[in-house]
Amino acid sequence: MTEYAVRFSKKQRIEHFVVMTTFVLLALTGFPQKFYGAGLSRFLVRLFGGLDGARLVHRVSGFLFAALTFFHLSAATLSTLQNKMKMTLVPDQQDFKDAVQQLRYYLGLADTEAKFDRFDYRQKFEYWGLVLGGLVMISTGFILYFPMLVARFLPGELIPMAKVAHSNEGLMAFLVVITWHIYNAHLAPGIFPFDPAIFTGKIPLERLKHEHRREYDRLFGPDVKAAEAAEAPAPEKPAPADA
Amino acid sequence: MITGRDGLISGALFILLVGAPLAADQKDEVETCLSCHGDKDASFKLPDGSTQSVYVDAAQFAGSVHGTKISCTGCHPAQTEIPHPEVKARTKAEFSGSFRDLCKACHFENYTKALDGVHFAVIQKGGSAPFCTDCHGAHDISKPDSPRTKVSDTCGACHSDIAEVFGKSVHGLALAAGNQDVPVCVDCHRAHDIADPKTTSWRLKTVDACAKCHTNKAVMKKYGLSTDVVQTYLNDFHGMSASLASSGAAPRAITALCIDCHGTHDITKVKDGNSQVLQANLQKTCAKCHPGAPKNFTGAWLSHYQPSPKRAPLVWAVAVFYKIFIPFLIGGLVLQILLHLWRVMVNR
Repeated sequence: MTEYAVRFSKKQRIEHFVVMTTFVLLALTGFPQKFYGAGLSRFLVRLFGGLDGARLVHRVSGFLFAALTFFHLSAATLSTLQNKMKMTLVPDQQDFKDAVQQLRYYLGLADTEAKFDRFDYRQKFEYWGLVLGGLVMISTGFILYFPMLVARFLPGELIPMAKVAHSNEGLMAFLVVITWHIYNAHLAPGIFPFDPAIFTGKIPLERLKHEHRREYDRLFGPDVKAAEAAEAPAPEKPAPADA
Repeated sequence: MITGRDGLISGALFILLVGAPLAADQKDEVETCLSCHGDKDASFKLPDGSTQSVYVDAAQFAGSVHGTKISCTGCHPAQTEIPHPEVKARTKAEFSGSFRDLCKACHFENYTKALDGVHFAVIQKGGSAPFCTDCHGAHDISKPDSPRTKVSDTCGACHSDIAEVFGKSVHGLALAAGNQDVPVCVDCHRAHDIADPKTTSWRLKTVDACAKCHTNKAVMKKYGLSTDVVQTYLNDFHGMSASLASSGAAPRAITALCIDCHGTHDITKVKDGNSQVLQANLQKTCAKCHPGAPKNFTGAWLSHYQPSPKRAPLVWAVAVFYKIFIPFLIGGLVLQILLHLWRVMVNR
């Protein structure tokens, strides 16, 4: 029987689900507006019942995404301040060493892969890409939604600037997701067809050992063999919360 | 009276049988008809009591486009018999309406187009609106657009208020001065299949009407006008929304089209003091759709300029940043994926 470790809390799984859903809806209703001349765009707009329908879905999804981001960042800040949470997602020097080690391995200059902690540098990159990119999308989306309000206090040029930024940042996020995220969570050898951890919340110990060796060692001790770990009570407790 | 199908067949027969040896016969026939119809007082009484003239000015017909090409029965094939068949029309309007199909035999394409036009829709509802001969004339038909000002005069005969406004516009003034590039009524509204200009679908098409000339490099160069105007409009929120408005259910409000900021029949030069799009008047123009638009709001519109370090530097800089950053980032990620796959394959 496969033994598991808890990797994601219920809150984190719900957060991922909401981000995933709103992201898809935002892309489906946003890109037709960026590529307004394409046949596919016209098809998608029709699918959402016309331009007003597509914009309504886009704005509601955008609002949900913004609310989630706000909730997530406030909760993370609060928990960190209260020392309930370790900053396992904050990039540090080790990440740069890991990235270099991993590239050397890919190029055949090193014999072993880097040993990662709870989150590897690729996952941290994606997390911070989402947070920072999300903040750009939220702020520029706000400007585009309320241009009159913004122009009351700030120069009007911010409005076309927000349009260029919103449209390009959205394109970039979409491209990162369909290359990097789809590869790492679905297509990569060893993962294919699907890494269910973010939905089930648990990860097989074997995979934890292989993909997050430093975390595994921290949890079970470097000398403990996998077989012994399997006998231990379900390791619900040791999984630390993360930012 | 000839109607519909009969008219078509007899017209076709006429061209077939009489068409070839026309020249001499035509003169004879016209002379025969004019022996009665050349009389200025030639007329008859209609059942409603009104008097209908049937006089044809010989010189006028000879000078018309048809004058040397077709004879009387070419358009009036049912009148070959003398005495003519009984007139069934009861009023002047009915009498003139009975000639509506006469042009069809030769000008079938334009006739059919006219059936799709807004004027015919009015006629069908029992209203009064022009058909072929009301615009082109009957026995005095001449080329409709020579000179081009004639088109404005023709439409202006009924639409006088619009013709007056158009006459003062940048297009109308140039037209009067003999300019051959500016549009006349039919260039935007079309001549035969004129659409109802109040419909949403027509409003959305007006962008194409403006684009026809304003994206033509050769023409615009003469006047020092930019051909970027349509693309820069489409790059903006208004243009993008207008181009998607025809997909699926129509939006509640159509965003600003060319004509909403520049005007329609009253378009002026951009630098004219009365121009709605002059920087000084822009806030008022924006407020037509955005009530209470603050002063800064006009800065959101880049005045058809492509962003550059001089015009809208902020917009330009952000665009350049992404143009460099997106390929750099995505390229790097794809490279890492490929390296990983390569390593996995080598390991096997």
